[in-house]
Parts: sequence; structure tokens; C-alpha cells
Amino acid sequence: MKIKNLRLKLLVVLTLIALSVAYILPIYVMVVASLKTPVEISQRAYLLPSAKLQFQNYVEAFRLVFPSLVNSSIISFSVTLLSAFFGGLGGYYLSRSRSRATKVLFILVGIALYLPYQVVLIPLVQLMAKTKLALTHFGLITSYLILNVPLASVLMGTFFLSIPRELEEAAEVDGANKIQIFFRIVSPIALPAYASTAIIVFTQVWNEFLLALTLSTPRTTTIQVKLAEVKGSYVALYNLQMAAALISVSIPLIFFLVLGNYFIRGILAGALKG
Amino acid sequence: MRPYRVLIAGQGRSAARSRFALREPVRMFDWIKSLKRRIDFASLFVFLFPLLLFLTILYGMLGWTFYVSFANWSGTAPNYEFAGLKWYRLMMSLDRFWVDMANNLKWMILGVIPTVVIALFLAYLLEIGSIKGIESYVRTLILYPVAMSFVVTGTIWSWMYQPDKGVFNTILRSIGLESLTSSFFTNPSTATYWLILIFIWQYLGFAVIILQSSFRTTELQEMIEAATVDGASRLRILFDIIVPNIRGGILILISLLLISALKVFDIVYIVTFGGPGYSTDVLAFFMFIATFQQHLVALGAGLGVIIFLLAFIIVIPYTIYAFRKWFE
Repeated sequence: MKIKNLRLKLLVVLTLIALSVAYILPIYVMVVASLKTPVEISQRAYLLPSAKLQFQNYVEAFRLVFPSLVNSSIISFSVTLLSAFFGGLGGYYLSRSRSRATKVLFILVGIALYLPYQVVLIPLVQLMAKTKLALTHFGLITSYLILNVPLASVLMGTFFLSIPRELEEAAEVDGANKIQIFFRIVSPIALPAYASTAIIVFTQVWNEFLLALTLSTPRTTTIQVKLAEVKGSYVALYNLQMAAALISVSIPLIFFLVLGNYFIRGILAGALKG
Repeated sequence: MRPYRVLIAGQGRSAARSRFALREPVRMFDWIKSLKRRIDFASLFVFLFPLLLFLTILYGMLGWTFYVSFANWSGTAPNYEFAGLKWYRLMMSLDRFWVDMANNLKWMILGVIPTVVIALFLAYLLEIGSIKGIESYVRTLILYPVAMSFVVTGTIWSWMYQPDKGVFNTILRSIGLESLTSSFFTNPSTATYWLILIFIWQYLGFAVIILQSSFRTTELQEMIEAATVDGASRLRILFDIIVPNIRGGILILISLLLISALKVFDIVYIVTFGGPGYSTDVLAFFMFIATFQQHLVALGAGLGVIIFLLAFIIVIPYTIYAFRKWFE
């Protein structure tokens, strides 16, 4: 038994080392490369940090991506707030009503949840061009809302299902109507659920590429589109590419590190484990 | 009180009419009020209007795409003239379409099965051999890529894969394993596999998290304990007790991963742009190229429809499972 346990511990430690290498190496390479001069990069000493750390790479990369960071922030934060709000409303209804119409609606939402964006891309481009929404941030905001509210509804609904009904029933006896109950009683309890849903929607919108690529105009270029552009036009300047990439992941990564548990709960709700 | 009660209560026609005329506003108001109490339109509207609105637009656009795939739209200006199966026939005759189908199949098999299997072992290993404090370390370690975009991961990995100066080949050369160096994604016959590896790397943490939470039901824990007492080996416990009992979790995980593998676009766009030739092309990428670069919009819509149908098949088990769980 003892030997078996020793072998198990050894296996765990070896797995841990393998995982650490696999998951730290890319980040390490990224950070090291982002602090080098182009000359050092062409000299192929990849794993060693630069003799003189080039922090001005970040200044330059930041100047390059700053407008798109602003655009992405405007779009992602608006979509996050609105989807969490609308998703809360829709999800509450889906989680409380048991009528046949609700069941049909639930199936329609379920299919829409993970709809590949390609299926709506052509109409979306037409709509946004016709309504001239594409020229402003509203174009991408509306598009992402259409695609994210079903997801937010299911995430919020999964959480609402786990909230006991007694409180709501008591409030109903006291004469409160459904809307009051939702805003005064259920929503405050569900604040952590809102945080989880928000962080999932935020990462999804911040990281989205296909829609942004087709719908963004020079004034609304998002960070992902800008990164792809930087990668294309500064082919040899890996240091700038890496610095820009690091700047772009810093925001979702900070959310992930600070609000990790909400993030995990959001993922689990997406897998229907409320 | 329902309005017809007024008529029943009235004796003659004129009496009924006079009463009706007199009381109608009050009665109608009562009736609306009672209806309101029963259906509660205000809350129905508040709760459902946004979701229904967005859902209607979404399904409207879906139908629109379906129609476009049967229209004769090629060029930048919309053309909704009906063309039947013309563009589907063209699609089927394209070599590129079949390369894409094959590549998508590779993505869906090689991107999903290894991820699930590795995640299963990893989650189990963490469960039985956990050292104190290790779990939160591992979670952060393997989950952080979920917060990153494919654009970023693609950028890092193209740098690591770069055949001439890239990280992997440099490491291999420096430790004297010149023979193991690879041309990675510049070799058309293996390029797709290297792209799939990025996908596995990025989704592994996601898979581990979902499986771990499936392990942690009291019922399952009790069963494992009982089997341990009976002296079952650890591998037998995993395959005979755990796997059958977390079928639901595995099913959901597989559907989610399959959908992600089917939708993959960003990695291909960033790392290889479908090349060399169109050896790493996938449906989602071809749809983008056909629609926005070649302006064969009807063909693009047709590809979109194919992607939707595949996604629809994948999402059915998820939806059924969700439905049962939701309305149980």
C-alpha cells in the first residue's frame, strides 16, 4: 500500500512538472520576447531574457493598440452589462414558468446558445450596413447582444433554479408582484450569479474575432482585429507582437485572477451545473 | 366576474342593453383586471420582451441565410433571385469543400477525444493524489488560456512553431535532437494536426473543471469509497464506476468541445490563413473567404447552412439533457 502511494505521488509530481512546462512556457516565451530588441530576436537566443530589458516595446505597442483597447472596452462593457441584465430577466422567467410555451421557448434558446456565428453573418452585415449602425459602436454592441442574451439567460436561469422559492412565495403572500419580487428580492441574492454571467460574457465578447473582423470599421476596430493586423504588418517584429498581445490579455486575465471562482462557476453553469 | 354574466342577469333585450350600456365601462375594466391577474401581462412583457426580441432577430437572420443559400447572389450587391440548388451543386463539386469537411472531421475527432481523455485522467489524478494546495495551482495553471483569445494563443504558438527561429526547434537543436525538429505548419500534410494541438492546449483546463465538478457528488464519492474498501484497483474504479456515473457530464463536455471544434476560425486565420494551399482550411474559414473575399455570397450562405446543420446535430443531446435537467 505504501509503495503504491509513493508511486501515485511520483505520478502526480511528474504530471505537475509536465503541465507546468506546457502552460508556463508559452507565457514565459511571450514575456521574454516582448522585452527584446529586434536584433536580439533574430539572434535566436529565445529562452534567455534580454541583457537589457526593452520596456519601450510596451510603450510603442500600447500606442499602437490604444484606440482599439478603448473600442473593445466600450463594446465589451456595454454588452456585458446589458446581457447580464436582459439575461437575468429572461433567465428568471425560464426558470420559474413551467408552461408549454416556456418549454418551446427553452428549446429555441438552447439551439441559439452555441449558434455558430457564420450562420448569421451575412444578414448581420446587411442589417448593420443598411441601418448604418456599423459606423458606430452600436453596430457591434447590438450584434453581440443578439448573440449573447440567449447564453446569458441560460446561465442566469441555471443559477435561479438553485435559489429556493420560499422567499418569493412569502413576498407574494405579502402582495408584491413578480417584477417587485424579481428586483427587490431575487436579484440581490443573485448578485454572484450576475458576476459569473458577466465575466463569461465579457471574456467571450472581448475575445471574439470573426464578427469583429467583418463588422468593425476603422473607427470601431476591436483589440483582436488590431492584434491580427499587427501580426500581419509587423511580421518580423515579434517583440511588438508579443507586447501587444500581452497588453490585450491583461484585462481578461486580471478578471480571471481576481474573480477566478466566479469564472469557474460561470463555466460550470454553461455546462448546466448550477 | 365575466362580462357575459351581465347578459345572463338581464331579463329582456332592452333591459340587457340598458344595463349593458350603463355598466359596460366598469365591467370591462373588471374583466381586464381579472385577466391581468391571471396572465400578468406586465411581468410577462418585462421578463420576456428582450429575450424574445433578440431571439426573433436571431431566427429571422437564420432564415435569411437559408434563403440566401438558394438565391443567385454573387457580387457585392444583394441579389435575392431564386436559383435553387445551383450554389449547393457548385459547393459539392469543389475539391476545397471536401478538404474542409475532412479537416473539420479531424478537428472534431482529434481535438475532442484526446482533450476528454487527458482531462479525465488529470481530474482523477487530482482527486486521488492531491497534495495540499496543489489544486488551486493547477486550476490557475491550466485554466488561464480559457481567458485568452485564439488570436493571442495563435500569435504565441505561431512564434513557437516557427520552423527556422521558433521556440520548439531551437530547444530541440540546443539539446542535440536535431532529428526531431519539424517544419510544423508549413508542411501541408501535417499542418492541421499542429493547429489542433493548440486547441487541445487551450481547452484542457475547461474540460478538467467540468469533469471535476461531475466527480463531486456525494453518491459517487460513496460508491468510490465502497469500491476502495472492496479492494478494486484505481483504474478499475475510474472505468467501471466513475465513467459510467458521470455520463451526463461527459456528454455535455463532448458537445461543447465538438461545437467549439466545428466553429474554429480564429486559429486557422491567425496561424496559417488556411495554407499551405488550402490544406488547413475549414468550413468556417472557407465561409468567410467565399463571402467576403470572393463575394460568392450564396455559396458562403450555403456553407453557413452546412455549418449550422452540423452544429444542430451536435447540440441536440445538449439541449435534451438541459431540457430534462431544467424541467425535472
